[in-house]
Amino acid sequence: MKEPAQLINRYKWYEILGIYCGIFVFLSFVLAPFVEGFLVSLKPLSQLFSSPYRFVPENGSFAAYRTMWESVPGFGRYIFNSFFISGIVTTVVLCMVVPAAYAFARFEFKGRGVLLAAFLAVNMFSGAVLLIPLFRLMRSFGVLNTYFAMIVPGVAFLIPSAIWLLRTYIMRIPKELDEAAYVDGASHFYTLRRVILPIAMPGITVVAITTFIGSYAQQFIFALTFNAKTEYMPLPVGLFAYFGRQEVIWNELMAASFVGIAPAMIVIFFLQRYLVSGLTAGAVKQ
Amino acid sequence: MGQLFLNNVQKFYGDFEVLKSIRLEVKDGEFVVFVGPSGCGKSTLLRMIAGLDSVSTGDIVIDGVRVNDKPPVERGIAMVFQSYALYPHMTVFENIAFPLRVERLVEEKIREKVEGVARILQLDKRLQQKPGMLSGGQRQRVAIGRAIVREPKIFLFDEPLSNLDAALRADMRIELSKLHQDLKATMIYVTHDQVEAMTMADRIVVLNAGSIAQVGAPLELYHKPQNLFVAGFIGNPKMNFVPVTCEAAGPEGVTVLCQGQRAVIPVAPRDNLVGKTLTLGIRPEHTHLGHGDLLIDVVPSVIERLGVNTVAYASLPGGEAYCALLPGSAPVRVNETMKTGIRAADCHLFDADGLALERRIDWQKLELPEVTAGE
Repeated sequence: MKEPAQLINRYKWYEILGIYCGIFVFLSFVLAPFVEGFLVSLKPLSQLFSSPYRFVPENGSFAAYRTMWESVPGFGRYIFNSFFISGIVTTVVLCMVVPAAYAFARFEFKGRGVLLAAFLAVNMFSGAVLLIPLFRLMRSFGVLNTYFAMIVPGVAFLIPSAIWLLRTYIMRIPKELDEAAYVDGASHFYTLRRVILPIAMPGITVVAITTFIGSYAQQFIFALTFNAKTEYMPLPVGLFAYFGRQEVIWNELMAASFVGIAPAMIVIFFLQRYLVSGLTAGAVKQ
Repeated sequence: MGQLFLNNVQKFYGDFEVLKSIRLEVKDGEFVVFVGPSGCGKSTLLRMIAGLDSVSTGDIVIDGVRVNDKPPVERGIAMVFQSYALYPHMTVFENIAFPLRVERLVEEKIREKVEGVARILQLDKRLQQKPGMLSGGQRQRVAIGRAIVREPKIFLFDEPLSNLDAALRADMRIELSKLHQDLKATMIYVTHDQVEAMTMADRIVVLNAGSIAQVGAPLELYHKPQNLFVAGFIGNPKMNFVPVTCEAAGPEGVTVLCQGQRAVIPVAPRDNLVGKTLTLGIRPEHTHLGHGDLLIDVVPSVIERLGVNTVAYASLPGGEAYCALLPGSAPVRVNETMKTGIRAADCHLFDADGLALERRIDWQKLELPEVTAGE
């Protein structure tokens, strides 16, 4: 027999209906573009402008997923670039943010509050506002049209939110653990490495994922401004290659978008294994 | 060796004086308990000895060396935290081995030491488990194991049993006492629980609002409290305080007028007492039904029958609380007057400043606490 639901989880039929209607409405807004994009990628180009428009493709095929590699030969390189830039950005951000967040969470020092507030303030500027000054800066350093030009601003704009995120997580780790390690003779770095890092792993994973996604998303604007070399183009800019002189190859563009997201999805899928909660169980009596 | 000397140690948080010039000497191998109400500074004092909190003024001296500016390891102390502070991602073995790994000891030496400690604490079968899988008592033992493995000169315990349930706490108390006998190390133990203090300590340090109220053996504090605070703090139920007037003071004791009766309390007299208002201290366990040098009639408003004892709560005409600890079968009822008698020799007497007039007893000759005497 099925267990009756807990009292707090029991709903009337109309409540359930309402909940599902709500979910349906909001999800359709979010997911419809993806569905339509996917359907477009299956259609032959000629059918896209047929009238009356039909959502379900007639004799749909995955041909676009094959031809897209031919019409834009550099596409694999664009995916690699995206991945490479985001990967480096994430690594650099983590290397800097983990010790910084630990320090902000644990140590009392002059200017801590001011620094944190400053980081928050920086976060409020979108990178776009600072594009022109950044461009001039990059030009005078002569680093335009390099990977460097796309990585460094990415790192700079992602660090503040990463520090805030990880600091909050580390603050939840009981302070007694640091004190116990200190009493046992461990240095701050030893404590960070042996005690704090393993316990903060779920928090670090969240930071890694958000940084990776953030870097993927902001590439477009930095790459468009600071880079003109085709071989360094990341995916979002690379997609423009499907905008031909005469016409846009919509179905291949859509197929390319889906293929381009795939690697990021795979990375995130693997990272989320580390998102285990309850790692601190048994550390201290709650 | 594990000798500790606190030389006028003071602690300020901003302008607030948390600890007021603490002076204390702890002998090697002694089990000293710091006890006091919350906020009295006992944990702060322990953290200062550990090196987790800084000392504002004064010196902390361990084995003749001033350690104020030394980190905890160099002081030769180990600490057990109230919350256990175990590393949740490490096994029991790694938790206990942590201080040795910090020291970079060789692997076999670590294994040997950790296994030795685990045997003492009966954790041999749990070494590969994580703290999350252990019960409260086992976690506490792991925390203690991490402290012993380094063989420190002084152990510091910060309310280590307060998170355990009552039965386990009693067991751990006995285990800790045994451990102290086996290791013969100096132990300093902070608690707010006077039972822990009375049962385990060689000497108790009672702290009140940042200063030492009294230092002494457990029974010394019970029989000869030096002031009202210690008298009220040690003993359960709490000592009754009855205001009395001093009528005479002589070599045989101090004569007081209490509830219209005269009694001679055998305490050392002091000058200028006659006519003053004093406080008579009567432990609830020293009240008996019907007979005594001093008789006090009260009407109990609440009666607790615990089986072995009966506790009757009443108030005196002046509004002071009055409690009597009587045998389990005592014929007392709520709202019926009961006549309690107290022997003058059992009474304590305090002057207007709350300082005790010394009782004329030798507590070390009293083999049993006076609870059973006079029954």
